[in-house]
Order: sequence, then C-alpha cells, then structure tokens
Amino acid sequence: MILAWEFFKRDAVTALSYRTSFLVQLLGNLLVLGVFYYVGRTIGAAEIPALKDYGGSYLAFLLIGIALTDCVGVSLTTFARQIREAQMTGALEATLMSPVSLSRILIYSSLWGYFFSAVRFVLYLVIGAVLYGVRMSDAHVTTASVLFLLVVLCFAGIGMAWAAVVLLIKRGEAVMTVAGYLVVLLSGVLFPTQVLPEWLQRLAELVPLTHALEGMRLALLQGQGFGPLAGTILTLCGFAVALLAGGLLAFNASVRATKKTGSLTEF
Amino acid sequence: MGACASEALCCEIVGMDYERGMQPTEAKHSAREDGEPTLSVESVSKQFVRRSLWRRRRADASAPAALRDVSLRVAPGEMVGILGPNGAGKTTLLRIIATLLHPTTGRVRICGRDAFLEPQRARSLAGLVTCDERSFYWRLTGRQNLRFFAALYGLTKQEFRTRAEELLETTGLADAVDRPYYGYSAGMKQKLAIIRGLLSEPRLVLYDEPTRSLDPLSTQNIRRWIARKRRHSPQQAHVIATNQLEEAEQLCDRVLILNRGSLIAHGTIDEIRHRWQQSSYDEYHIALRDSQGDVAERVSRLSGVFAVERSPGDDGLVTLRLRLSRGGAALSAAMRLLLDGGATIVHCEAQKVGFDDVFCALVLGDPPAAASTPGKGNGG
Repeated sequence: MILAWEFFKRDAVTALSYRTSFLVQLLGNLLVLGVFYYVGRTIGAAEIPALKDYGGSYLAFLLIGIALTDCVGVSLTTFARQIREAQMTGALEATLMSPVSLSRILIYSSLWGYFFSAVRFVLYLVIGAVLYGVRMSDAHVTTASVLFLLVVLCFAGIGMAWAAVVLLIKRGEAVMTVAGYLVVLLSGVLFPTQVLPEWLQRLAELVPLTHALEGMRLALLQGQGFGPLAGTILTLCGFAVALLAGGLLAFNASVRATKKTGSLTEF
Repeated sequence: MGACASEALCCEIVGMDYERGMQPTEAKHSAREDGEPTLSVESVSKQFVRRSLWRRRRADASAPAALRDVSLRVAPGEMVGILGPNGAGKTTLLRIIATLLHPTTGRVRICGRDAFLEPQRARSLAGLVTCDERSFYWRLTGRQNLRFFAALYGLTKQEFRTRAEELLETTGLADAVDRPYYGYSAGMKQKLAIIRGLLSEPRLVLYDEPTRSLDPLSTQNIRRWIARKRRHSPQQAHVIATNQLEEAEQLCDRVLILNRGSLIAHGTIDEIRHRWQQSSYDEYHIALRDSQGDVAERVSRLSGVFAVERSPGDDGLVTLRLRLSRGGAALSAAMRLLLDGGATIVHCEAQKVGFDDVFCALVLGDPPAAASTPGKGNGG
C-alpha cells in the first residue's frame, strides 16, 4: 500500500505542478460536456424508439456514454503512456533496478490516471444531473460502481497488451486512435448499437464497453440492480479475467523480449 | 604488432596460458578468493539481435558480440573498475549485472542469487548509480525523489529518514533536498544519484560513469565522497564503469579492461602496468649538453632503442626521451655513445609509464615496443 501511495503521490505532484495544463485539461472536459449538451438538446426533441429502454433522453444516453468512454480511454492509454514517458524521461532504468516487478510498477503508475478519470466521471454525472437536469434519482449506484470497476479492469488488460506492443514498436499513437474510434463506433457511445447493421452488432458484442454502457445506462437511468444486470456483470467478469491475464502475459513476454534485444529503455 | 603477438601480450597480462588460445578469461579477486563473492559473473556473452514485428532477423554468428565470455568476481569490500574505450561493452556488462539486460550466454550471481532466476532478490542486493540526470522526476523535490525510490526498495519511513539524513549530510545536499530537482546543478544531481544508489544499503553498488560531465571540483568531491563512503561500509562491494583512468587509479582496488567485448587485462593498475612494461620497454629521460647536435640521431640507430625524442630546453640543455628494451644493455650502450660523442650528462631518470599509455597500447593491441622497430627510432 505504501508503494502504491508513493506512485500515486509522484504522479499527482507531477500533474499538479503543471498547473495551467491541469486546469486547461479540466476545462476541456467541461467544454466537451457543453458541446454534447446542445447536441442532446437538438436531438432530444425527437422521439427515438431505440432509446426507450434507457428512459428516452438522448442527453442522458450521451452523458453516460461520454463519461464512461473517457475512463475507458484512460485504461487503454495510461499504461503505454507511462512506459513511454519513463523511457523518454530516463526514469525507467532506475525504477526497473528496484526489486519491484515491472507489472506492479505499471499498475501502480496508472493509479493517478484512474483516480483522475473517476473524478471526471463523477463530475460529468453531477454536472449532467445538476445543470442539465438529467434524472438519475433512481440510480443503482452500487451496480453502477461494479460495472465501472469491471469495464476499467477489462480495458486495463487491453491497455497492458497495448503497452507490451509499445515496448516493442516504441510509437503507436496512431493505432490507438484508430482503435479508439472503432470502440466508439461499435459500443454505442454516441448512438444505440441497435442502429448498426446486424454483423456489426455481433462484432460489438465482443467489445466490453458495449456491455458496460448497456448496464451502466440501465443502472443509472432505470435504477436496475444486480438481479436484472447479472448477465452483463458476469459477461464483464469473464472479459476482465481473460483480458487482464492476457494483458499481463503479453506485457511480461514483451519485457523479456526487450531485455534480450536491449531495447527496453530505448525510445 | 600482429594479432598473434597482441593476443600473446594480452594473455600474459590476464595470466592466461597463450598456448590454450583465448580461453574464457576470469578476473578473479586476488586476496579474498575463499569466501563467497558479492558478485560473480560467469562466462557472460552478449550478442544483440534486433527483432522487428515485420521481419524476423536471426542472430548472425559473424556479427560482433557486445561481450565475449567475460567472467569476473568481486569480493565484499572490493572496488573494481571496468575500463575500456567507447563501445567496449562496459555499460552492457553493467546492465547485465543490474538485470536490465539478459546475456546471450553465461550467468550472473549477486551474493549467490542468480540474477536471472531470482531477479527481484538479486536487485534488492544491488544499487545502480547512473550518470543519467534524467533518471529522476524533475518536478519532484530531491527528498520526494529519494522517498519514492526508497519505497521501491521497501524502506520504512524511519529507515528512510535515518539513512537519507546521514547521506545528505555527508554529501552536503541537506540544504537543497527540498528544492525541485530541475533546479539542481549537475554535481547535485550526481550526488543525489549516488545517494539513491546507496539508500537501500546494497551489498553491491554499480556505478556507470559517476563523474561524467562534471567539472573538476565536483569530480574530486564525488570521488572523495565515494572513497569515504567505502571506508564506512567495508563489506559493500563496488563496480565502477568509467572512461576516466585517473578515477580508476584513485578509487579501484582492481580494474579490468574490456575491448570489443573481450576482457583484455585485469589486475591492480600497478600489476597491469608492470606486466605490460616487462613485456615492452623502459623509458628514461636524460638531460644533457650536446656539443655536436646529432646525438639523438645516433642513439636511435642503436640496437634495443625503440624511440628517441629530443627536446631542446631554454637553459641550453637537451632532454632525450628514450624507450629502450628492458635489461639495461641498451641503456649502457646509449650512455656510452653519448659520453663518447662528447655529451655531458646532467641528469638521468627512469620514468614510470603512465597508465593511459598502457591502456591505449593494450586497447590498440599495439604497444610501443613493437610499434617502432629496434634501431629505427624517430630521432630528433
């Protein structure tokens, strides 16, 4: 725990020391909310049958989609970014000389990113509820929290696998951008997956975010609890176990490979 | 000098039987061979193979190896220097010992722990002092940086406080430790790197060019401090990779010299110098009054004279720098010739060969004894 706290503190102090950047980043997140508010209001007037299951409000649908995708984005990119930054700043070698495994270093290095994304997630929902009038009074918060945790774990696995690739190829931002768009397209962030062609809908079933968004919207907007969402939770548990194990295995294999080639600290 | 003769010289220096050919060389500690060494490097070789996701490349046997069959043992309390020209394999060896790189073959043990089977245990016994000032977090203060790395080594708050305070006091960094790292001078950054390396009180400290890019004053301070710290922790072993020969002379009990990945010499600096000199030449500086002006030319033609340099001084004296075959016969012949030629010898002094000369000759595989054919020295 002490070690995890030291990592968290290191990253928090570093992030907060760049005050302007930190505030502008926060402002950017709020601006995104503003943009989607007006998109939601424009479309909100229309009757959308596909949104009936979620209470019919496009703004509420969009808000949860954006908030959760933001967290997923952190999961996807934080590990690779940490590795790359440590390679470029030169701190990786000194950290790797310690008796702590690289997997632990990687996980602890993501704590600040996750904390900050969780803060943003709550901020999105609070702003949505208070300023935009999105109704979440019946929200089943415990189920929503479990879904949040599970989707974060799922994408942490993918993020670790991606960090493994970054260790080998060094730069891969473009790949991650494409993957991000693909996830947004398939998982129903901006629109319900029912509007997709059937073959894309089947593909969307393979993306954990599709299930998480479905469950999260039902938990927060319709107040559904563990019972009705048991299937979604179990599916996400399966994804989380498989993706985390795969991600860790891929990452450790990549570390071994780079220790052989001598490219571990190259960038 | 031909490759064969060069190999013979190197083999003699490392105490190897030349007839056996280039067998695995081992730099053993001389005085403390009985106990368990703090560091044991056994026949380590490294050949870098670049892999691409698009194209698989196989190890090319003809590609130059970064390290070839290098062995080394370091006893508790010893400080061993790794010397060599750029690209010799010093950092590669250090990184292999630090478990940051896997060797192609061979084994590394730290206090008996296999660095590749038990890397975390081995790392807990070692500390690395790098010359890379980027290896800290620039937005954190010196103390925050140290606390972070102390946590990585599992130090408790109390342990950290006690050790950090002691180290900060002795390095003179105590006043600056709460300032952001980005405001530190190069010397302060290097001191902080040394403190970090020693914070966990490791059994083995690895230094990678600890005084590179420091001014002479900071360099002296750091070296003195390392020497002092060493006296206070007599069981701690140290391995220092450096390009600065005087650093090795000041700090190290023994050195090993790498060239193109191979160990070409090891021992104390005096031993290496002595062995090399025995197989090469004596150097004398003779101050004389030369009435005829051609003594250097005549001396250079003598048998057993490898090189003659003549430098006239302001006081009318001429200094001859002679490199002569060992044994005294060449010196006697040179003296006789000088006296017979009417020169007055004012002063004659045998010179201790500089370690940098020995180092260069070893690395080039071309000691001056062979560089100039006896009797064909460069006079005047």
